[in-house]
Amino acid sequence: MDIKKNVYYIKFLKDPWPYTVGAVILGLLNIGMLAAVGKAWGVTTPFATWAGWIYQAIGGQPEKWFYFQQKGNAAALSGSFINDLHSVSNIGIVIGALLATLLASQFKIKKIKSWKQVIGAVVGGLLMGYGARIAFGCNIGALFSGVASMSLHGWIYWVFIFAGAWIGTKILVKYLI
Amino acid sequence: MAETRLDCLGEVCPVPLIKTQKKLGTMKVGDVLVVEIDHSCAMKNIPEWARKEGHNVEIEEVDDGEWEVYIEKTR
Repeated sequence: MDIKKNVYYIKFLKDPWPYTVGAVILGLLNIGMLAAVGKAWGVTTPFATWAGWIYQAIGGQPEKWFYFQQKGNAAALSGSFINDLHSVSNIGIVIGALLATLLASQFKIKKIKSWKQVIGAVVGGLLMGYGARIAFGCNIGALFSGVASMSLHGWIYWVFIFAGAWIGTKILVKYLI
Repeated sequence: MAETRLDCLGEVCPVPLIKTQKKLGTMKVGDVLVVEIDHSCAMKNIPEWARKEGHNVEIEEVDDGEWEVYIEKTR
């Protein structure tokens, strides 16, 4: 029998899962993540550490910066990749996403459509990265882990990211499409 | 009963959905819009929106990670 027509293959690997199923699984995994790592899940803090390592590799001394003198950040910078479990989980996310795409046989290298798209992606990426760092977290570290630990900052983040997305969509519709 | 194609290959959310909404607005009842996409989240939100608007929708997977969404404008 052709696996592509198998109902279980279609249900579990091919078709997208409902949002509620994803939400419940994310919630459960977040509990597991906190239990295993001992720190609230975050994605962008390792990016700062990686950038610190790159800067060290080319001769810079980021360990003298205020940010890298804070206890946790200093430990991450002087530690190794494999011991920084959130660094490892970031790689896991990429591998997992690739695996899901391959299993659904939906892998495709997409073409770049226009320069506008390239500029939008680079500027957008830089703004998101900068924002995530000065806010000490992205939508995972600040929002998801914040709300899950009953911290007010997660809810404030939620209100403002909603406002930001609304303004961003208006700009997108007016100028970019 | 004209058939129009809309190339959204290489575009990510929410661009394909917004382009579809704009394009369909300019079309006549009974016309068919074929939206070409290669972003899996557009495969979810375009049909969802179009069905909510009451149009007839069909999705066809034309290649690995590439779909055509057929929307027949009904009103």
